[in-house]
Amino acid sequence: MKRRYIQFAIGGAIIAAILIGVLYQGVQSTVFFHTPHEILASPEQFRNRTIRIGALVERESTAWDPAAVQLRFKVTEDSRTFIPVVFNGVKPDMYREGQGVVVEGQLDDQGVFQATQVLVKHSEEYSVEKSSYADKENMYKTLVNATER
Amino acid sequence: MIAIFGLASLLGSVLLGLWVFLFTPNDALMGVTQKIMYIHVPSIWITYLAFFIVFFSSVGYLWKRTEGFDQVAKSSAEIGVLFCGLGLITGAIWGRPTWGTYWVWDARLTTTLLLFLIYVGYVLLRAFATAGERQARLAAVIGIIGFLDIPLIHVSVQWWRTLHQPSTMFKVGAAGEPKPAMPPELLWPLLVAVVVMTLIYVFFLLWRLQIDADEVALEERLAQE
Repeated sequence: MKRRYIQFAIGGAIIAAILIGVLYQGVQSTVFFHTPHEILASPEQFRNRTIRIGALVERESTAWDPAAVQLRFKVTEDSRTFIPVVFNGVKPDMYREGQGVVVEGQLDDQGVFQATQVLVKHSEEYSVEKSSYADKENMYKTLVNATER
Repeated sequence: MIAIFGLASLLGSVLLGLWVFLFTPNDALMGVTQKIMYIHVPSIWITYLAFFIVFFSSVGYLWKRTEGFDQVAKSSAEIGVLFCGLGLITGAIWGRPTWGTYWVWDARLTTTLLLFLIYVGYVLLRAFATAGERQARLAAVIGIIGFLDIPLIHVSVQWWRTLHQPSTMFKVGAAGEPKPAMPPELLWPLLVAVVVMTLIYVFFLLWRLQIDADEVALEERLAQE
């Protein structure tokens, strides 16, 4: 009986190790997004097929045209090499310059990325709204004033 | 005992809600949307805890073959599925205004969905397979293997490129000291939320075990008559 448990434990461990290995390799070879560097190193490999790019929005590169509902910006990792992005759709609420984004779409022959989706990455850093406390104090003051009146 | 945990959970939830919505400042970027973190993060914490208890009890059951371990594993798995579902849903609700999408198939989200499905399978097995020692053994094996997904979920944001951001709570400083990337005004309510959610977990677990014991007692009495 004891031996069966040991066999079972070893078998289970081997299966688990294989599963994790397969998962790791599988997800590794189908990465969620590519970086501008990878794409610019061999653009022909990425052209005209649906891919995602993960990068930062270059500062002062945004052109938002509300009439045409078109958003243009450049993505970069190092502010030296860029990929221009065109997105025909509404600008996401959390879109900021200098922010991480994941864009999905296709790189056209002119080297412009025609995006079908713009997702905004959120950083793991949280910070407190500066106006938050002031607003709260004002709220209490108005409440107090209202009751005193 | 159950009533005490129930009351503490209720009181804790109410006080936490007041604290979070009236006395906690908003996040600078996300504003009021960030408040959902106080449900999302503790839900996932309870998911990990609940499935760890399943893992631990399943090992215990296979080793000692005592029914108590099996019952704890069964009850904890049900609660884990509940909170894992809650974590996935609150994540989706948070994702829509923040990322711009309810769902993406990145490594963090996919491995979490996998965890949910594994334990839904576990609960289905317990509900539909013939009760007895054989079912308990099978369930224990699934309970143990399923748990291996949790370390994978934890490292998913470091191993792979994901839309989900890396861990905030387990960030380390230059000297390797823990340094959560969150100001204390936001961090304290979150830590308390984790404690409150843990109280709810213990409450549910004790309650579920009580129901199980009552069922057994009822069946015995029916058999005697």
